[in-house]
Amino acid sequence: MIIEAHDLRKTFHAKRGRGKKEEVEAVRGIDLQVERGEVFAVLGPNGAGKTTTVRMLATFTVPTSGSARVAGFDVAREAAKVRENIGYVSQAGGVDDTAPGIESLLLAARISGMSRRQAQARADELLAAFSLTEIANRPAKTLSGGQKRRFAIAVGLVNAPPLIFLDEPTTGLDPQNRANLWDEVRKLREQGTSVLLTTHYLDEADALCDRLVIVDHGKIVARGTPEELKKEVAGDVVTLRLEDTDAARELLAAQPYVKEVRAEPGTVRAYLDDGEHGLMHMLRTLEENGLGIRSVSLERATLDDVFLKHTGRSLRDAA
Amino acid sequence: MFRHTMLFLGYELRKLFANPVWPLFGIMQPVLYLVFFAPLLRSTVPGGKMTDVLAMFTPGSMMMIALFGSMFAGFGMINETRNGMLERLAVSQAWRPAIILGRLVKDVIVLVLQAILVIGIAALMGLRIGLTEMVLVLLLMAATGLFAASLSYGLALTLRDENGMSQLVQFFAMPLTLIAGLFLPVSLGPQWLQTLAKFNPLYYAVEAGRSLFRGDLSAGTIPVAFALFAALTALTLVWSVRSLRNLAG
Repeated sequence: MIIEAHDLRKTFHAKRGRGKKEEVEAVRGIDLQVERGEVFAVLGPNGAGKTTTVRMLATFTVPTSGSARVAGFDVAREAAKVRENIGYVSQAGGVDDTAPGIESLLLAARISGMSRRQAQARADELLAAFSLTEIANRPAKTLSGGQKRRFAIAVGLVNAPPLIFLDEPTTGLDPQNRANLWDEVRKLREQGTSVLLTTHYLDEADALCDRLVIVDHGKIVARGTPEELKKEVAGDVVTLRLEDTDAARELLAAQPYVKEVRAEPGTVRAYLDDGEHGLMHMLRTLEENGLGIRSVSLERATLDDVFLKHTGRSLRDAA
Repeated sequence: MFRHTMLFLGYELRKLFANPVWPLFGIMQPVLYLVFFAPLLRSTVPGGKMTDVLAMFTPGSMMMIALFGSMFAGFGMINETRNGMLERLAVSQAWRPAIILGRLVKDVIVLVLQAILVIGIAALMGLRIGLTEMVLVLLLMAATGLFAASLSYGLALTLRDENGMSQLVQFFAMPLTLIAGLFLPVSLGPQWLQTLAKFNPLYYAVEAGRSLFRGDLSAGTIPVAFALFAALTALTLVWSVRSLRNLAG
């Protein structure tokens, strides 16, 4: 077990005007177990407490209560030992804009205890691995978002840690760079590095992680492998666009092959295990009852459906 | 600990040497004062000799860079509270005080080099000063700079806002320099101003500087100034390192 967290909580005290204090419970009791070598995702909308959780595990923020062991060491009492065993790439990246990227890399290597020569060798290795050799000496402020992010991850890996934290690693990247970064994360897993990443992209969690937790309002609402979680909802989703959503919902909920129905203005989503067969029944039933539909689509259930099931709202709307 | 401080210092110095022009702009102000303002002061000095004017005015202009230059040292750090750099360093194996100490030592090195240039220009204009006195003046200036710079890092980490910080620095720097008698000794002023100046640490630094430039090593303000700035630096340094911890909330 590379991460073991029990009932982690963090309450911030924000000052609001004179003498007034507002308590913000950013994280409200999180339990986590991450195995060695695993890519583990924390999925949730903005403001769910993902960053605060990672910051506590990475020893940046001290938990208000609860405990966590990272790489076998307590985050509060043995922070220095934890720091030797982790890489941490914050959402902002943390590469010095005012110097060439290689300088950040070399400094990080020297801080982790390497000699000048070892640092140079390790930097060269990482530059090559992340295709950064050619731009190593360019001022970081002239680099693109994707290049900067690659530098940030290279810096995070400088001490070859068994565990790396990636906080929202692909936020703000274009699709091409996102795909490249996913490949980098997969490579890390192949090399045996454990990865804990946070994301608010469903497809990212789905494509990349072995296991995940879904967090909302500082709490875990679901956990498991992406497949387990999706199966829990249903195999397929049929989305119908029609006028009389209430009638359609009642009608479909009564069908034995439909597991669950959700209605929003103008749309009804029906969850069922065998969509190909169920769809035909469904259309027939609707027609027999005189409910005209404007459009219909059949998709595999996604993690968004899992989120919807547990929180009552779509992740896309939750931010 | 020492190793990490040296690493951060080396990093900062490399950045500085990659772009060494800016500190030269920093000494423009005291040099302009020396050239264009000091001659106006001849009538205030008994005898009106330029040597005496320079001995009176040069310490003030040096303290000006020590204070103004260093009070803005923390500006660069405000961005680092946002771009994740400090966050990353805070969870690295770095000894935390080294993050600030490395920068402080760089600031002081730049300051001393600037001061040597200013003294050099003053010397060309006719200033004469002994070696011991000069070394002591530079040390005094370094102490003032250390205080102002660590205060600046503390402010930067606490405020984390460029606008607020520049307003606050201006707000404090102006009265401090006026009440210290940076340009003209407060002894020329009324009694209330002289009393007020006694509460301003910078006053002792400027007066100690003037005594040293006159070659008066026995002046009481010299040990007072050193003790005062050693104590103030210790306080602001501890504060700025603590502010680093508060980043995490």
